Amino acid sequence: MPVLAKARSFLRNLFLTERVEQDLELEVRSHLQLLIDENLRAGMSGQEAERSARMELGGAEQVKQQVRERRLGESLHSWITDFRFGARQLYKNPSFTLTVVLTLALSVGANTAIFSMVNALLLKSLPYAHPERMGTIYARYSRATGSVGSEPTALDGEKWELLRDNVPTLICAVSSGTSGVNLKAGSRVQYVRNSRVSAHYLDVLALQPFLGRNFSEQEDRPHGPKTAILSFGLWHNVFGADPAILGQAILLKGEPHIVVGVLPEGAITPSNADVFTPLQPSREGEGQGMNFDPITRLRDGASWQQADAQINRAWSIRSQRFEKENQGVHVAYYSVALQKGQTESLRPQVLALMLAAGFILLIACANLAGLTLVRMLRRTSEVATRLALGASNWQIQRQFWIENLLLALIGGAAGTGVGFLGLRGLLLLLPEDFLPVASVPLDARVMIFTLTVSVLTSVLFGMLPALVARRVDLRSSMAGRAVTHAGGLRLRQSLLAGEVAVTVVLLAGSGLLIRSLIHLETLPPGFNPNGVMVAKASLDDAGYHDPSAFHKLLNESIAAMRQIPGVVNAAVGLSLPYENIVNDGVILSDGKEAGRQDITDLVYATPGYFETLQMPLLSGRFFTDADGPDSQRVAVVNQAFARKFYGGANPVGRYLNKDTVIVGEVADVQISSNIERPAPLLSEQIMYVPAAQVDSHFLVIVHTWYQPDWIVRTAGPIEGLAGEMQAALAKADPNLPASGFYAMQDLQARTLATQRIYVALLGAMAALALLLSAVGIFALVANMVAQRTREIGIRMALGSTVGQVMVQIGRSGVSASLLGVVLGLALSAGALRVMTSVIYGVGVYDVTTLVAVVLTLAAVILLATIIPALRIASIDPARTLREE
Amino acid sequence: MSPEPTTLLQGTLDLLILKSLATGELHGLGISRRIEQITGGTFVVKPGSLFPALHRTEEEGWTSSFWGGSENNRRAKYYRLTKAGKKQLEAESKRWGRISWAIAQALEAS
Repeated sequence: MPVLAKARSFLRNLFLTERVEQDLELEVRSHLQLLIDENLRAGMSGQEAERSARMELGGAEQVKQQVRERRLGESLHSWITDFRFGARQLYKNPSFTLTVVLTLALSVGANTAIFSMVNALLLKSLPYAHPERMGTIYARYSRATGSVGSEPTALDGEKWELLRDNVPTLICAVSSGTSGVNLKAGSRVQYVRNSRVSAHYLDVLALQPFLGRNFSEQEDRPHGPKTAILSFGLWHNVFGADPAILGQAILLKGEPHIVVGVLPEGAITPSNADVFTPLQPSREGEGQGMNFDPITRLRDGASWQQADAQINRAWSIRSQRFEKENQGVHVAYYSVALQKGQTESLRPQVLALMLAAGFILLIACANLAGLTLVRMLRRTSEVATRLALGASNWQIQRQFWIENLLLALIGGAAGTGVGFLGLRGLLLLLPEDFLPVASVPLDARVMIFTLTVSVLTSVLFGMLPALVARRVDLRSSMAGRAVTHAGGLRLRQSLLAGEVAVTVVLLAGSGLLIRSLIHLETLPPGFNPNGVMVAKASLDDAGYHDPSAFHKLLNESIAAMRQIPGVVNAAVGLSLPYENIVNDGVILSDGKEAGRQDITDLVYATPGYFETLQMPLLSGRFFTDADGPDSQRVAVVNQAFARKFYGGANPVGRYLNKDTVIVGEVADVQISSNIERPAPLLSEQIMYVPAAQVDSHFLVIVHTWYQPDWIVRTAGPIEGLAGEMQAALAKADPNLPASGFYAMQDLQARTLATQRIYVALLGAMAALALLLSAVGIFALVANMVAQRTREIGIRMALGSTVGQVMVQIGRSGVSASLLGVVLGLALSAGALRVMTSVIYGVGVYDVTTLVAVVLTLAAVILLATIIPALRIASIDPARTLREE
Repeated sequence: MSPEPTTLLQGTLDLLILKSLATGELHGLGISRRIEQITGGTFVVKPGSLFPALHRTEEEGWTSSFWGGSENNRRAKYYRLTKAGKKQLEAESKRWGRISWAIAQALEAS
């Protein structure tokens, strides 16, 4: 088969080059010998025969070259030769190669790690069938003057019913968050994650149970039968994969629930829950507030336009009501792809990080361009020689590009490794459930991205030297030795200025984040967090819907905890400082603003709560045991409350919600805000009420969302308290497992985890940028010293001191860097404005930050200039001059 | 009488090489001399053209080569036609016949 023969020769030419060459050599030699033999036979003398044979052959080397040029796979072969030559060149310059590969590894690695986040969060399809047909609903608010913003919309019971019954183009479902609940299996009580979802929720996700069925509409009605669907993991681990589980009752939240289904193995749900129960939404209870999160799936044959029109029509009554209450504001609803909706809150931060990573890449490119440029200039004589020997411009260009490509590939591979490690580290930093995705893989798309970035980098940093190489002039290059290239220096200085400018922006940005974090961490806590230990437990349990059972639990568990040796005080509250707190409506019942309705954070607390936390009492009194269910309803408010509703006047004695009298005012504590403006920590209005006066209705709702905190203050160390607290809790209710134990200080750290991560990430990027810039300055100055050794020698021979020469030489790096600093400051003025929404307690134009940035850079610039310039001191003028 | 320095038409050299091997295996010099002989000395193939063409025919799978002993007990590389080579020779001969007939017709036309 000719095709086979061709393939065989192709491979032979490619891989058995040596044998093919040897064969050719032998053949040509034998041909010459045969020619000589022939001439001898014709009667020529020995010498004559050989001369004539050589003439007829026409040069053995030329013949071989002609064969080579027409060989199969020749072009590929010459590429390979060039690659080999390139690899040898890189191997022979280990310091250059190492610098480039390390630079690439770090910058490409940073990009790989960040991009894999972008990929997982924004690009990768959700793990459901036809994810593009899944959505959530956003509200867009606008005035006549234009849009005033849009946000994901949550529904109350009425809106849910309108949506469910009037939008036939969509399969709609709602859920109400995920909370920890207690599951009793056999004699063991376990803490599991429960997601409450409406009927058709699993239909929207296109998940078919592995066993049994999805919830029916009947089961989703208010007061419908209590049922449950288990995750595969829970079914497997807790129920021993019992196939007869269907139809059995499990004890969940203190009540029997009939198992109707088991999800398939590996099924992913947005809530990642262990067990699902029907939401049974209504207009009562939690249905009175915006507590349901919708997800939708477009039915076959329908379009999103139709769906949006139906949604707006379905909610028109509500929109009209809203527009009446908010004069001049128009509201419209629209569907947003589920993925976009789920990742919306993380999107700006992730994109900002990607931008920072892009900056790093630019800095790396500038550095590498400088390095390759110098290397190129050093090789001018090599280039000239090759040109003189007849190499075409293209061949020389190709050689350089191949070397760049090789560097890019090695650097890219190293970068993938660094990126993998970086990503692992990053994921370890993130708190659990921080990302709305199950995993952040290094998949094919990430690999393609990394490869593209590496190759693009090589093109960017290779372009300049290649352009310079094109201008190599044969005569001058052959004549002179290493020529100082003024154009090259100017170019390198502008590159340096550029990278320093970008570094300034990154440093200033991370500086602002650090300042913001310091501000948040050093906010006056308003209580004494030292020596306080916290236990949380879920009271989303039928046994605690009755207030008297709830009070009994609190009294007995608190009494038991007070018995723990070393414990000074104990109490229960919902919730604690640093936590996200439930908010509720409040009505002012006296004074000028009587009847005013507003919102306040709401905390229930047992007597001893304030004392345990050591919150300062500003006026009035704390709660006592006398504040019982049947006595006068009382409340304690904080300073922010008094400021907001009473203009800072003493609130004690004022009435709220008709029958509640304020009996005390306490200092503000920092909480994770959700009323004022989204901020990780701030103090806003809080109303404290005695746990004994909370009604059943409120208990049921609030305990489905939040878990109360048991707090103890100890005089001794807090280590080992967790076990004793669990034991004390078990004395009051042996079936109540704590869901977690926290030192009070850790709660602050948990709340600020996100800020810490951003600081760590952007800080790492800024440090990387600084390092790369330092390398850039160092390389420029070191190269100047090396190139100008002779000039320096002459200067020193003519009487310049070492110091004078160092200033002379160092000036090039310093002036370029300082220009970069100025440029960077100007750039920051514009660029940092986007950070307004992520920094707290510090302005965008923060003098302290900017001064710190400039000082840091000045120090780095000086160091990176002085160290290479020190070599000047070791230059011996006499010797350098003799060398010429 | 100097041999014609005729530049061979593209593909003609391949045809001549195949034809020279039709009667049996030959080494490079043998092929070169055979072509000289069968073209009545019109074409003298220099090694610089012969070897690249020869190697190409082998890469195409029309010839195969092996090392053997020559008349003077010199080792030489011999080439012989493969099955594919014979087919190629046939096809090319036909094609060449058509072309030369057509060219002759064209030149005779007045």
